[in-house]
Parts: sequence; C-alpha cells; structure tokens
Amino acid sequence: MDGLPLPRRPARARGLALSVRAGLALAAGGVLLGAVLLSVSTGAVPVPLGTVWGVLLNRLWPGAVAVGWPPGHEAIVWQIRFPRALLAALVGAGLGLTGAALQAVTRNPLADPHLLGISSGGALGAIAALLHTGLFLGLLTVPLMAFAGALGATALVLGVARAARATSADRLVLAGVAVSFVLMAAANLLIVLGDPRATHTVVFWMLGGLGLAQWPHLLFPLAVLVPAGLWLLSRAPALDAMGLGDETAASLGLPVARFRLSVFVAGALITGVMVAFSGIIGFVGLMMPHLVRLAVGGGSARVLPGSAFAGAAFLIAADTAARTAMAPEDMPIGIVTGLVGGLFVLWLMARRD
Amino acid sequence: MRVPTAIAALLLSATAAAAYPVTVRSCDRDVTFDAAPARAIANDVNLTEMMLVLGLRDRMVGYTGISGWKTLDPAMREGVAELPELSARYPSREVLVGAAPDFFFAGWNYGMTVGGEVTPETLAPFGIAVYELTESCIHLGPRDPVSMETMYVDVLNLGRIFGVEDRAQALVAGWRDRVARATAGVEPGAGPRVFVYDSGEETPFTAGAYAMPTALIEAAGGRNVMDDLPKSWATVGWETVVARDPQVIVIVDYGDVTADQKIAFLRGNPALAGIDAVRNGRFVVLPYVEATPGPRNVAAVETLVARFAAAGG
Repeated sequence: MDGLPLPRRPARARGLALSVRAGLALAAGGVLLGAVLLSVSTGAVPVPLGTVWGVLLNRLWPGAVAVGWPPGHEAIVWQIRFPRALLAALVGAGLGLTGAALQAVTRNPLADPHLLGISSGGALGAIAALLHTGLFLGLLTVPLMAFAGALGATALVLGVARAARATSADRLVLAGVAVSFVLMAAANLLIVLGDPRATHTVVFWMLGGLGLAQWPHLLFPLAVLVPAGLWLLSRAPALDAMGLGDETAASLGLPVARFRLSVFVAGALITGVMVAFSGIIGFVGLMMPHLVRLAVGGGSARVLPGSAFAGAAFLIAADTAARTAMAPEDMPIGIVTGLVGGLFVLWLMARRD
Repeated sequence: MRVPTAIAALLLSATAAAAYPVTVRSCDRDVTFDAAPARAIANDVNLTEMMLVLGLRDRMVGYTGISGWKTLDPAMREGVAELPELSARYPSREVLVGAAPDFFFAGWNYGMTVGGEVTPETLAPFGIAVYELTESCIHLGPRDPVSMETMYVDVLNLGRIFGVEDRAQALVAGWRDRVARATAGVEPGAGPRVFVYDSGEETPFTAGAYAMPTALIEAAGGRNVMDDLPKSWATVGWETVVARDPQVIVIVDYGDVTADQKIAFLRGNPALAGIDAVRNGRFVVLPYVEATPGPRNVAAVETLVARFAAAGG
C-alpha cells in the first residue's frame, strides 16, 4: 500500500540528495542527447554533419537554415534515423526499467524482461504474422500480433501462478520459464512450417532490430512506458522493502503477493510493447540494473531511473554500431548488445578483482 | 544521329503522355503511375534482367541484392556494368532513400520481407512506388499455381509502367513462340518425374507448387514430384524424395557450393543410390537466373525439353 512506514530522512539531507539527483539527471539527459545526435549523424549513406544539423535546426525553427541538401538526405535524417534513435531510447529505457523492477521484486539477480514468458509470447505472435497470416492489419500487423502474444503469455503466466498457488517469487519465475518454453516450442513449430527463405526475417526479429521505427509508431511505446514507468518509480520504496524478503515486506504492511503481480503486469506491458516494435533485444534488461547499481548503489529510487537512462543511452549506441558494422546492411542489434555488453561486463569484473 | 533521337524521344513522350496515368496490379494492390519512373532500382538478378531486356537501363539508378549470393553471370555483369550495386544483399530503407529512386522492383523474399523494414507501405512516404514480383505474392496469401504466365505478366506490367508496352508485348510474343516451338512434340504431363534440388544436406531445400521451377518443368512436359507442396520454396525430408523416385533431378546453381559438388553429394549419399535419376545420372543444372522468374526461363524450358527427351521420359 502507499503509506509505507519507512523512516524519513532529515530535510537537509533530502535537499542535498535532491540537488545531487538533479545533477545526475541533467548529466544523464546530456549523455542521452549526445547519443541521439551521434546516432542521427551516422549511417550507411554518408550525410554531411552540416546537413544533419541543418535538418534538425529547420525542424525546430522552420527556416533557420537555408536548404542546400537533397530531399533524400532530409528524409534519411528526419524520417529514418531520428525516429529510430528515439525508438532505441524508448526500448532501452523500458527494458532497463523493467529489468530493475523485476530483479527487485523477485530478488533474483538474473530476472530480466524476457524471463517470464513475455517475449516468447511476443515472438509467437510476431512469427505467426511474419510467416503465416500476412500483414492483414497493414503496417501495424506485426507489432499488434506481438503485443497480443505478449499479453496472452502474461495472462497465461498469471493463470498458471494462480492455479498452482505460486505466490512466492521463485514459483512465479518457474511458472514464467515453463510458459516460456511452451510458447517458444509453438513459435518454433510455426518456423518449421513456414517458408525457409522467410525464416531469416524471423531470425532478424528474434535478435532485435529497430528498422521499423516511424514517427507515428513512437506513440505506442511512449504511451505505455510513461504511465507504467512512473508507477514503478512511485513504488520505489515498496520495491526496496521487497528486497528485504517477503516476511519483512509483509511486516511493513505490503501485500507482497499482490504487489509482485502488479509489478509483473507493469513489466509485461512495457516489455510487450517494446518487443512488439523492436523484437527481442537481450542483455539490456538483465545487465543495465547491475551496472547502475555499481555506480549509484542499491536504492530503487536511483536504480530505476538510472537503469532507464543507461538502457536508453546504451541501446542508441548499440543501434548506431549495428547500423555501421556491416553497412549498408543492418546487423541485428541483439548481436551487438550481447557481444559488446557481455565483453564489457567481463572486462569490468576482471578489473574489479 | 541527334535529330532522329530527338524525334524518337518526342514520339516516346507523345505516346507516353497518351497512356498515363497507368494502373497495374501488384500482388494485392493497385499501383497508379502518373508518368514513367525515371530513377528505378531493381533487386536480385532475375528482376534486374527483366528491366534490362526492356531496355530500361537508363531509367535505373542502381540495383541491389546480387553479389551477396553470387548469382551474377558474365553477360549480366556487362549489362549492369555502369550501375552501382547499392547493397550486396537486401537493402535497408536508408540505402534506398539515399539513392533517391522513384521506383523499386522487388518481391517478397526478393529484397523485401513480410513485416520488414522495406515494404511498399514503408517506402510510400518517400515517394518510392513498388512493383512486386508476381511469383512472390504467395507470401501475402493464397494464389493461383505458377505458370509461364506468372513471369510474362511481370514483363507486360513493367512495359506498361515504363511506357514501353510495345516492346514488352513483342518480347513476350517471342517467348511464347520459342516455348511453343520447343514444346511442339511434348505431351503435357507425359514427361518424367522431376525433383528440384536447391541446397541442403540434412534436408533438401526444394521448389513447391508456387515456385517458378514447377512452372518450367510443367511447360516442358514433366511433373515436379513436390508439386503437392502448397509452398513456394520449402524443405522436405529425403525419405519423401526417395519415395517419389524422381527420374530427373534439376540442380539450381548459385552461390558457394558448385553444381558439381551438389551432384557429387547426391551421388555419394547411399540413401539416394536407388533413385532413378541418380542411378541413371540424369542431372540438369539450371543457373539461378534461369530458375527464378525472368527472361531466361525460356532457355530453361528449352533445356528441360531437350534433357527430358534424352531421359526417354
């Protein structure tokens, strides 16, 4: 419940913490802006930096710069790269945030947005659309089917958890993993039944990619991320309490099982919409919270927004790398996040020892 | 030299002006052109060749998706020599838009993927009209089985889109003649049982009812043993291949594994030793560009007729 009786900090310390927080947020915002600008400046087609800036300035203040570039370059910067960088930011933020919340609420350092069957459901929906049904709902067919699949999987996990009275964190995770295997098997069956020449589409989708980004589509991840994210942030004290153990959290007045399911549903909504637009991008949700905890400590009030910012910046950078590594073709972003991210974590661990 | 060219151009624009706007059917869409595209891109070798035989090289700004699969033969290489290859495999939206085209000739799994980044819908905002290869429409939903008409209709539609309809009709009429002459003594369906081998060792990748080779084999009087497979290309089990006992095996030749290596594999597999085609060494090699919808399908039919006759089918 809301009125969790946690000790209040003295006003002075709170003021200090607030300014530190504001500073951190400002720095994170700066990094994010830099990442977006770097991302829109790079790509398969060489667009001069001056053109990129000109296009952006003209969008902010129409007529600010005389147009001296081909319309194709403007389309590339504004219609392709910019929405793509913003989608990367939204997806990265959503996955990082969800990972942090799920790790707190399950007390499982390996919990990640893809663990609980959500992504498998999304994959099943997307694969059905990609290989079997065709785009019967137009451009949004794949995202809609993926989102429906993710929600279906969530409902399934909740149903299983309820039927099996799986109220503990471990059993919820177990139910999620079991559902995940069943759905993945169904998805693989669809792949086997589909046209083999089309399966590389599926591989691409399952490894993630942001190539579908378009301005109007950004609304959907945003509309889910903002309310769900704000709700998770507002429950940071409760998430911290969950970290103390179910009994302790319950003794603090928290309805443990119900709260865990609420966080799970919020995470499922975020992950579902992210998976729908970007495919399954690994690593971000699992590792960003750990990296952020190394930097700012374990409090959820800092880890949640920190993971969101770090996930956003990391995914923008990863997508930039994915677009340039084997240009003019795109590399699936999951390869970059796994390779770069995994090696980075190994390096970090080696340094600390 | 100059004056006749100018007159020809005038005549061309005059007939073009009379004909436009034209509307063609592309898979499930009606696409309307107010003028002939001037900056076209084609994906893959067979589609590019359709453009070239219509004399449209000067209306193209590039091509995509050829060298990644090594399907270009010397004659084609000359045909596209002056054009840039924008992407060795499937192009991204950025690469296409960067070339500022007004037309993209591609197909599903020929440069575009269902639900992918590059589709008629995602290219429309950039002023790029898309014509889809008819054989590939099967990936959007049920279609009629393929025949030689599946290829002819694309060339005729391109002719209308680019205002070179006369040339397209002349070409197709010529191809119909050649096919008719080649198959004059052929009784439909009386030819051999044929298996199409594209690739794959664990399981073979083959042509089903909706893939062009099935149409070529039927035109030449034979029957694809996998024509009951309601797909374009698909993997099947070796067991089925053995059970259907093909009399001729058609090898689709492209990429890193040579046709000789594929034949050696088929000959060396003890499970296949009993197959009629293997016992009698009846392998027909068709280059990729002949086996996928395009002008060279006609030569493929001629080859198949000759080889089927030799097989005593």
